Amino acid sequence: MNLFPLYLTVKVSFVATVFTASAGLVLAWVLAKKEFFGKTVLDVLIMQPLVIPPTVLGYYLLSTFGTGSPIGRFFENVFGMQIVFTWKGAVLASIVSSLPLFVKPAKAAIEGVGNDLENAARLLGKTELYIFRTITLPIAWRGIMAGVVMAFARATGEFGATLMVAGNIPGRTQTLPIAIYDAVQSGDTYTANVLVGIITLFSFLVLYIAERFTKGRF
Amino acid sequence: MNLKLSLKKSLDGFSIDVNLSVHEELLVLFGPSGAGKSLILKMVSGIIMPDEGVVEIGNERVYDSENHIDLPVRNRRIGFLFQDYALFPHMTVYGNIAYGINHLKGPMIKEKVDELIAVMRLSGLEKRYPHELSGGQRQRCALARTLAIEPRVLLLDEPFSALDFQVREKLRADLLRIHTLYPITTILVTHDLEEAFMLGKKIAVINNGRIEQAGPREEVFYRPGTRSVAKFIGTRNIFDGTIVGLDGPLVTMLNKDIGLVKAFVTEGGELQTGQDVSFCIRPEEVIIIRPDRPLDYRVHDNIIEGEITSIIGKGSTQIMFLKTGSGDTFLKIEVPNFVVRKLSLGKGRHIRVSLKKESLWVIP
Repeated sequence: MNLFPLYLTVKVSFVATVFTASAGLVLAWVLAKKEFFGKTVLDVLIMQPLVIPPTVLGYYLLSTFGTGSPIGRFFENVFGMQIVFTWKGAVLASIVSSLPLFVKPAKAAIEGVGNDLENAARLLGKTELYIFRTITLPIAWRGIMAGVVMAFARATGEFGATLMVAGNIPGRTQTLPIAIYDAVQSGDTYTANVLVGIITLFSFLVLYIAERFTKGRF
Repeated sequence: MNLKLSLKKSLDGFSIDVNLSVHEELLVLFGPSGAGKSLILKMVSGIIMPDEGVVEIGNERVYDSENHIDLPVRNRRIGFLFQDYALFPHMTVYGNIAYGINHLKGPMIKEKVDELIAVMRLSGLEKRYPHELSGGQRQRCALARTLAIEPRVLLLDEPFSALDFQVREKLRADLLRIHTLYPITTILVTHDLEEAFMLGKKIAVINNGRIEQAGPREEVFYRPGTRSVAKFIGTRNIFDGTIVGLDGPLVTMLNKDIGLVKAFVTEGGELQTGQDVSFCIRPEEVIIIRPDRPLDYRVHDNIIEGEITSIIGKGSTQIMFLKTGSGDTFLKIEVPNFVVRKLSLGKGRHIRVSLKKESLWVIP
């Protein structure tokens, strides 16, 4: 049996989660602690992937990062990097669709760190970055880790947008969920069953870990 | 270090407009909940931005709306004790106290923290986390954390409100002791009358976002400048009157219900005949006239008759309400228990009391 989809899925999910968590942490902090014009719009935009069809999301990404678009051309000319129909496209699709699942718990966790604690640190002469590192992050880390786990899980299960942006190229962009679809379509029940089994077990474990984490049992 | 502030801020349906200056002492900012006390401290520290005004510490302007000065909170070197102490829950007592000075060299940190731990009676608790401390220990830990950075000004926001009634008294004494050790210019905010009296040599009474009166404790407590100050400081017997006679320091007032009342005033210059004023007397200053004895010349004036409508025990004293005049005026009287027993005072008894001229305070 070809295990490339499993390898690719782990790789894509891992890279996507690194990006999601880094960008998501900044977004979560901004949304939790800052007041600014257009805050609600930003919040709604980040949450969009939860409600719009993955194909629509994929279509947006395809037209934004495609070789015909300015952004796509920029990446190609400056970094010599093609995003669509490569594994990087799968990463992109995973980042966007997993972002809300990270931001939601991370934002709640950061909001949960009382303003008084951060103000106390400010009054003790500390800079914003230092306060984030020594007060906000350590207190909110359970919620943030739960967000990381959720984002990783979402990335491994990404299907619709990935199919649109990265396509279904066996050995290059075929991730686990797409491989399952492929196997079922071609009547390869054995492969489908094994892959479904893997992903089911994985998803269960992920949610179990996330649950234990937020409740502080690890 | 002197602290001078002049602050204005409007919030929906509420505005603050205060001027205060504190000179190397402990000033108690006293007023009812919602008067804007905590907001003032937050504006001084920079946590909340005023609409306009000036905050000056020593000779440095840390905030000046006109000249666009707004020093970041972290550079103001202001000690702030939050109502719930805001201890860092993931750090030990030692870690909390050292947090503000952890940029110093190791031995210096340790020396400073050890000193504060000793002064604050926290020895042996260094490795405990905030949730493992009692309310009083938490408060002292937070105070130690604040003092570690050697603040120029100390702001205490209702420091005793999160504590049990039983430990408050001891901790108030503790605070005074610490203030003598570290005589930092301090503003303490409270809505507790007893606390204000105990801690503040100087008191500023705030109501509705305005300072109604500020001055030495005795002056504020015994010579309230306005009717609302009189009310806040626990004077319960406040009545209306019109001045009908002025003779040097002696003022004669007419109250529609209880008749003529005479009082001595120290500064009679501002009063005029025909002026409407308020006059008040503290419940413990009302004197009960014993029917079995001849009238003493000292209690000759302002004799009021009435019926005791209720009597409530309050530890070593009893609070009585006397219905007087045509029945619309109630006088609150506080008398020691032994007097109640000796004169067998009780509900329904008719008695005569005297409002001594010297005990009455006239509010223009």
